[in-house]
Amino acid sequence: MVPISLANGWKEIYRAGGFDDFMPADSRMPGWLIPLMEKLKRLKYFLVKNIRSLIFLFCVGCLASCKKDSVGNVDNIVGLGGDTWAKTPIDQWIYDSLTVPFNIAVKYKWDQFEFDLNKTLVPPKEDKIIPVLSAVKKVWINTYVAEAGDVFMKKYCPKFFAVAGSASWNTDGTITLGTAEGGRKVVLYVLNDFRTKSMADYMPSDSFNIKQMFHTIEHEFGHILHQTVMYPVDFKTITVGFYTSNWNNVSDATAHRDGFVSAYAMSAPDEDFVEMIGIMLTEGRAGFDAIVNSVPSGTSDNGTTQAQAVSKLRQKESIVVSYFKNTWGIDFYSLQSRVRAQVVSLIQ
Amino acid sequence: MFAIVAASSCSKKSDSAFSESPDQRLNETLSADQATLVKAPYGWRGLIYPKGLTGGVVGFYFKFNDSNRVEMFSDFDSASAVTPMTASYRLKALQQPSLVFDTYSYVHVLADPNGSVNGGSYGSGLSSDFEFAIDSIGGDTVHLTGRFNGTKAVLIKATQQEANSYYSKQFSNRLFLNISKYLTYFKRLVVGGHQYEVLVDQVGRTITFTWVDDSGNVHKATVGYYFTTNGVAFSPAFTDGSIIISGFSNITWNAGTTTLSFTINGNAAGIVGSGTPIQPDLDAPHRWWQFAVDKGLWWISEKGFHVNGVDDAYGITKTTSFFYLMYRPKYSTYNGCTYDVAGPIQLLPDNSLNQDYALAYRTPNFTTDGRLTFPYLGQLGNIPASDSVAMAKTRIQFSDSYGYYLVQTSDISYDMVSARDGKAWVTWIWPF
Repeated sequence: MVPISLANGWKEIYRAGGFDDFMPADSRMPGWLIPLMEKLKRLKYFLVKNIRSLIFLFCVGCLASCKKDSVGNVDNIVGLGGDTWAKTPIDQWIYDSLTVPFNIAVKYKWDQFEFDLNKTLVPPKEDKIIPVLSAVKKVWINTYVAEAGDVFMKKYCPKFFAVAGSASWNTDGTITLGTAEGGRKVVLYVLNDFRTKSMADYMPSDSFNIKQMFHTIEHEFGHILHQTVMYPVDFKTITVGFYTSNWNNVSDATAHRDGFVSAYAMSAPDEDFVEMIGIMLTEGRAGFDAIVNSVPSGTSDNGTTQAQAVSKLRQKESIVVSYFKNTWGIDFYSLQSRVRAQVVSLIQ
Repeated sequence: MFAIVAASSCSKKSDSAFSESPDQRLNETLSADQATLVKAPYGWRGLIYPKGLTGGVVGFYFKFNDSNRVEMFSDFDSASAVTPMTASYRLKALQQPSLVFDTYSYVHVLADPNGSVNGGSYGSGLSSDFEFAIDSIGGDTVHLTGRFNGTKAVLIKATQQEANSYYSKQFSNRLFLNISKYLTYFKRLVVGGHQYEVLVDQVGRTITFTWVDDSGNVHKATVGYYFTTNGVAFSPAFTDGSIIISGFSNITWNAGTTTLSFTINGNAAGIVGSGTPIQPDLDAPHRWWQFAVDKGLWWISEKGFHVNGVDDAYGITKTTSFFYLMYRPKYSTYNGCTYDVAGPIQLLPDNSLNQDYALAYRTPNFTTDGRLTFPYLGQLGNIPASDSVAMAKTRIQFSDSYGYYLVQTSDISYDMVSARDGKAWVTWIWPF
């Protein structure tokens, strides 16, 4: 390729006016050498002029010349395709009950990379995994399937669950019970404290943990729904001005007085919306009414009257209900009674 | 030059230092390590040194099988010492070949961030680990380092007898814990012609030895202890010159005389109560008092006085809205006399702290033999009738004319021990 390029570059050399390097023939140089010197000079000017494209070609040439016949044995990379272990009945149960019907994978074996890397956590106890997941299926999956059909659930359900045995402790003293990422992954914590009334060591106080867990799942699934189709913007105006990052220093009872269903609902409108979903579903309609009716008379520290707080909670309730109806074609109150009935069966 | 470089880059020569690819070698290492763990015919004894227990150690037994299951015992508590638990484990490439206990087991009890599980702090537990990098594996010993907290652990191939002793529940022997039933704060290990003061921290799983050598110098050494079928073993062994104590064997407990007896290296030995420290920390009383003076704050005790084997013997924690007992030096002055105050702090329903009443003491007397005494000055506020008995007993205890020794147990905690007989003490903690 070099000679052809040289021919193309011929005129260029003179247009560039490069006489500085003119080499006079002198007596010391044999005459036969002069044409060769001329050719070398042309080559030099060619190289200077086309330095960029030549470097590129050089690199291409090097890369091409680096090609090996084989990249070595690649069929045995450690960890390629995920971790493997001898399958147990737990793995089989997950495969039959969640993976086959809903394409949901559950990672219960420890992998720090599924969680915050700086958090002290422990994996779940093996004897908690099937009870928790079957309860999740009954309370969350089956109820939505009954109301919205299994296509809805297969389409929108998060496809990956990572579970941890302990809570995730935050530096401000709060604990995280669950998180969701991008509508795909849900992380559930505190499996080791999961006890239903059918377990021998069940205590009434355990009902709190159970409700928390389903509250978390419904909460996170609520995020997936509103991230798919946003809720009416009117919702954000109901308690505008009351959202605060200081929510963790507010008690639920105080939050109720300002028209929030929980303290965490005060953190942001999106959280407010899914807290409404989570609490309305797990507490049931009567439970939610009880929360609304628990707002005491008088005025809150932020100047909200009892009537205003009740009205705000009811406005939020009606937006949630109409959002489910209009967006997803789901009768929220029917879903609510199904979920509550399942929760009650676990705790009473 | 172009041609030369291009040509040289064409070299196809392989100059790998190894005959196999990294993946092949890693897979071989992992399977070899797993085979080593599985093939130990009687399993492994394990010692885990949680990062959060300075010097403390917990004993384990592991039996690995080739389908990712491991059966274990742990001497962490009396139940786990005799109840086998099966969980999952894996050998995994995590930068280094690593042994991962990947579902909950006795190993995770130490690392659980729920402090109520292991007595550690909420959020980090005992700062232990369950993902271990394999530092070395070979012969009869495996050395491990935790990947999250850097907890050290070691596995030692068990003998048939050791394995049997776990499964036949011989590790139910925890007689050593009767050490907490001694009435005196100070206890001395008597072996041969030597005496060592021993301070056992059952939460931290350590024993601190204090002794005075022939030239009168005071020495201290802390070792971790773990349980054996007939006593406790130390890690590392305690050494005082040529005397090496690796544990207490054949422990017996005499409840009538409150005495632990055992053998050390085959020689009879025992622990006896003592009313006085083997060597009082002469400056400790003043150090304790001055610490709070310098900070302008106060020491607290959550449990009040332990007297004659009874926690909170005077019922101070049962007083109205009790939050903690406090001692605050240089609280105020009265008729030109600077005084300290001691008394319970109440936690009110609105989360505020309150002190309704207190005992006032003049500045303590610091004796040259390492004690301090509290001269009673008077009472501040009105003590309600329901709290009066607890306060009266506490006042009498504080005012004991023998005074107290102070034993510094950490940078921010002291035990204040009655110098009368060593049978009454209170633990002061710096809460700030």
